[in-house]
Amino acid sequence: MLSHATTRDWLIPYADGMLAVDERRRIDGHITGCPSCARELREVRELNLLLVTLPPAPPVAFAPFWLNLQAVLPHRRVLRIPGIAGYRRLGMAFAVAAIGVLAAGVSAFAAPSALPDNPLYPVKQLEESLRLELAPVNERLTIQLQLANERLREAQAMAGRHKPALAENSLRGFRVIIDDAAAALKNPADPKSAKEALQALHLKLDAVERENADRGDDDKDVKQLVADANGELDRIEQDEVAESPTLVIGEQATPRPTPQPTLRATPRPEPSDDEHHH
Amino acid sequence: MAQSEEVPSTEGDAEERRLIDRSAAGDQEAFRQLVLRYHRLVINVAFRALGELALAEDVAQDVFIKVYKALPTYRHDKPFKHWLHRVAANTVTDSLRRRRPVISLDGLEQSLVSAGSDPQDVAARHDLQRAVRYAIASLPPHYRDTIALQAFGELSYDEIAKALDIPLGTVMSRLNGAKRLLRERLGDLVRPSEEANTA
Repeated sequence: MLSHATTRDWLIPYADGMLAVDERRRIDGHITGCPSCARELREVRELNLLLVTLPPAPPVAFAPFWLNLQAVLPHRRVLRIPGIAGYRRLGMAFAVAAIGVLAAGVSAFAAPSALPDNPLYPVKQLEESLRLELAPVNERLTIQLQLANERLREAQAMAGRHKPALAENSLRGFRVIIDDAAAALKNPADPKSAKEALQALHLKLDAVERENADRGDDDKDVKQLVADANGELDRIEQDEVAESPTLVIGEQATPRPTPQPTLRATPRPEPSDDEHHH
Repeated sequence: MAQSEEVPSTEGDAEERRLIDRSAAGDQEAFRQLVLRYHRLVINVAFRALGELALAEDVAQDVFIKVYKALPTYRHDKPFKHWLHRVAANTVTDSLRRRRPVISLDGLEQSLVSAGSDPQDVAARHDLQRAVRYAIASLPPHYRDTIALQAFGELSYDEIAKALDIPLGTVMSRLNGAKRLLRERLGDLVRPSEEANTA
């Protein structure tokens, strides 16, 4: 038979259904012969009833909620400027000109190679956004691939400098660019070049991962973001293979060539479990 | 309406991870989709805690602003939904604590004897719910944060353990302590009616 004190200690998990069957039986056994604990159990259940009967909210329309929220969201650097209407392009051109003047003044500092820990890095990001937005459609993929490579260069450098948060930001930026470029990469004008570009990105991702792991205190979020990015590139490659047209002569389809394995860096052993997270 | 726009959430799925990464990189359209998935959940938590829809919507906005600011530091090793629950519970209990309780517990117990559809009963039920909310808000932080996830977030013990990143035994211990204090503070309000009458 349980003691009075132990039973009282267990009444709340008992009422919440958190005790094992044999523990419940022992409590039941005590309560049957203990009016005081039985009364306390009723009080616990009364409290639980009050807690679970707090009512849910009535339906709320999403659109006005989002509009109000969007109006007060802080502005963060934007890696992509979506869908700028044609009439705004003139304004953008002026902005480019202004930035050109600014860049002339600070070109010694705000070189295109500025890294995320450089105070002038936001200028570089703005330049990139405008460059991409104003690019002709047929040059867009080339620029996107350049920017994707640049994000990976930054991520590798930041991983090497023990700045994992900045490395993660660059890897997220990489994913945004690759997401945007995915459709063009799946149906490229020049499939061979696109395939080579994807392989080069895989190799650079491996370089980021190596840099992250080299110091023995690798950041697991960097590692995860690299893995996700490799997965995204793999999906694009697979879709590209699946969507490539098949020649049909008469009633017999030409067999698709056997896909060649993607050239990848030699896999390294998994880091030990005691890796610490920054 | 909100319901028809809801997108089913599948925790940890690739799409959600993509939305989180894009939102962290400043993509507001991706963040809009995240908010679309979870606004109902957050408004519910806030409404259970505060009891007023307009106030709940304001606090839900505060929750999403905090989330948006903190997304660049979010770690994927914890489900986004659990993290969101934690931010929501903290924000609503902070909001509750800032509001001065305007309710007297005296006399409430009598109106609890029957809580039907009579306007007086409905008003009494609302007052009682407010008393419970403020009692929760007045708890020590470690108790308050834990029971807020159960009472306002409707999370199970296991989900609370994951959201707060604490062992299940600690959740049991904290809920035990929190409910003991609540019973003390709510007094006759949590006594079954026949006992309250004879007390």
